Amino acid sequence: MRGLLFKIYLETRWPVFCFGLGLAFIMAVLTWVLPTVLGDIEQIFKTIPIIKPLITALLGVNPDSELSAQMTQAFLWVHPTVLSILWAHEIMYCTRSPAGEIDRGTIDFLLGLPVSRWKLHCAETVGWLISGIVIVGIGILGHILTAQRFAAEMQPSLRVVVFILCNLLSMYVAVGSMAMLVSAMSDHRNRAIGVVFAILLVSFLLNFLAQFWKPAQPWARLSILEYYRPAEIMQTGMMPWQNITVLLMSGLTFWTSAALILRRRSICTV
Amino acid sequence: MSAIETQHLTKSYGARRGIRDIELSVNPGEIFGFLGPNGAGKSTTIRVLLGFLKASSGSATILGHDCWKDSTHARQVIGYVSGDIRLYPWLTLDRALKFVGLVRKTDIRPFGLELAERFQLERHVPVGRMSKGNRQKLGLILALAHRPQVAILDEPTSGLDPLMQDVLGECLREMADEGRTVFFSSHTLSEVETLCKRIAIVRDGSIVACEDLDTLRNQAPRIVRITFESAIAASSVQWPDFVRLQQHRKAVCELQINGSAVKFISWAAGQPIVDISVSRPNLETVFRKFYEDRQPGGA
Repeated sequence: MRGLLFKIYLETRWPVFCFGLGLAFIMAVLTWVLPTVLGDIEQIFKTIPIIKPLITALLGVNPDSELSAQMTQAFLWVHPTVLSILWAHEIMYCTRSPAGEIDRGTIDFLLGLPVSRWKLHCAETVGWLISGIVIVGIGILGHILTAQRFAAEMQPSLRVVVFILCNLLSMYVAVGSMAMLVSAMSDHRNRAIGVVFAILLVSFLLNFLAQFWKPAQPWARLSILEYYRPAEIMQTGMMPWQNITVLLMSGLTFWTSAALILRRRSICTV
Repeated sequence: MSAIETQHLTKSYGARRGIRDIELSVNPGEIFGFLGPNGAGKSTTIRVLLGFLKASSGSATILGHDCWKDSTHARQVIGYVSGDIRLYPWLTLDRALKFVGLVRKTDIRPFGLELAERFQLERHVPVGRMSKGNRQKLGLILALAHRPQVAILDEPTSGLDPLMQDVLGECLREMADEGRTVFFSSHTLSEVETLCKRIAIVRDGSIVACEDLDTLRNQAPRIVRITFESAIAASSVQWPDFVRLQQHRKAVCELQINGSAVKFISWAAGQPIVDISVSRPNLETVFRKFYEDRQPGGA
């Protein structure tokens, strides 16, 4: 396992650092500008009515005519840029092996060593979880530092941040393990990336579609954002156990399926 | 116990040709040649041996370890390199020795550096800036640095210059002298001929011959060049049935003989011949013979 983790560290340290810095920058900027932009939300709702259902879809609650400081904070955690950075990292990371390794032919060298596929899967998982925690950690640092200096109303309560992080990381687990499953079934990384991206896009859009089109509402449960609700956490101050359980169970199912497929499949680079 | 053993090993890819009923038994300390043209099934066989592919039927073991169910243990005793090796662009020799050493849980650095010296490979150049030949050298060093009990080499000389091919040959002979096994797959006949004592020839996914090289040579037709006293003598000669005339230029005839050369020499003694040369049948002749035999039914 140490050898595999050494390899993963060498391959992913710079991308992880860059994604972390990117997230920190975006979260810092959002922390700084959101109170100003969303402070005038009533005017925006009047000028562009479509904004309201979009924000409702993102937050999971109706923002009414004005956004409270809490809602403004919640918007930071569901902002599409924040989610995109996190998901982009996951898609890149989780399709590295085996799809990426098969695609570039290096799997022959790797599996020519005494490395079991199970161990490979576990090592990749350890790297993926650690990298997620590092990226989110750097991102939050950007948010906290900016909130303290520039936007007092965005200063988060530690308890709420911990609950939101639990929800965010359980979504991270669900998305990443789904990407691992697609990767385990694929011989081509680009194809795997395309499939995961398409699934996420559909899942994301389903959430919005449900706001405008009634027949889509029953399907909204298939949207990943249905189970990631920072606004609700801020309103209730409670840990969203149900959502976290759904996300983690989905993640566990995808992850186990990926491990079984990887263990049983034939690997052919020629 | 055989170092490598397969029984009725079959891998089918649906419509695509795979391998059928491969029966191999490679002894410890042997350098075993595995010959066949591109697409014959050499790499598929090797990939089954390494546990990359699951066999459709049959079994394969390496030093008693099942190649699918127990492939991690099998690969503990194997060193593998392919001809078209793809390595991580960030690997340098030093990093690679550290990485492979950590995975194998053994210090492969001392022998790895010794091999690097023999192969004249620089230590700090990353794979991304290496030539194909140097990448191949690095692959070979990583495959041999842990002194494997069984080396499985799939067209390993690809990209190596003749001097480095000689160095590899030396390393493999040393391995065999120490009782370790080499499974050497190639379509380059000359290198197999110089290294191996026993070979298997694979064609259309099946083994068509698995013999000592000397036995195969004896089966091969020989080329004989005879110079007669005159062109008239050459054109009026009555050829026996075990001789096939291939070329005839004035007084010089090039023949192919099947069977013992002694029989031919007895016949030639009574002919008006001024010179005769009998070539040693080489592996290429044998190889081509096996490939010609597939017509007309083969692909």
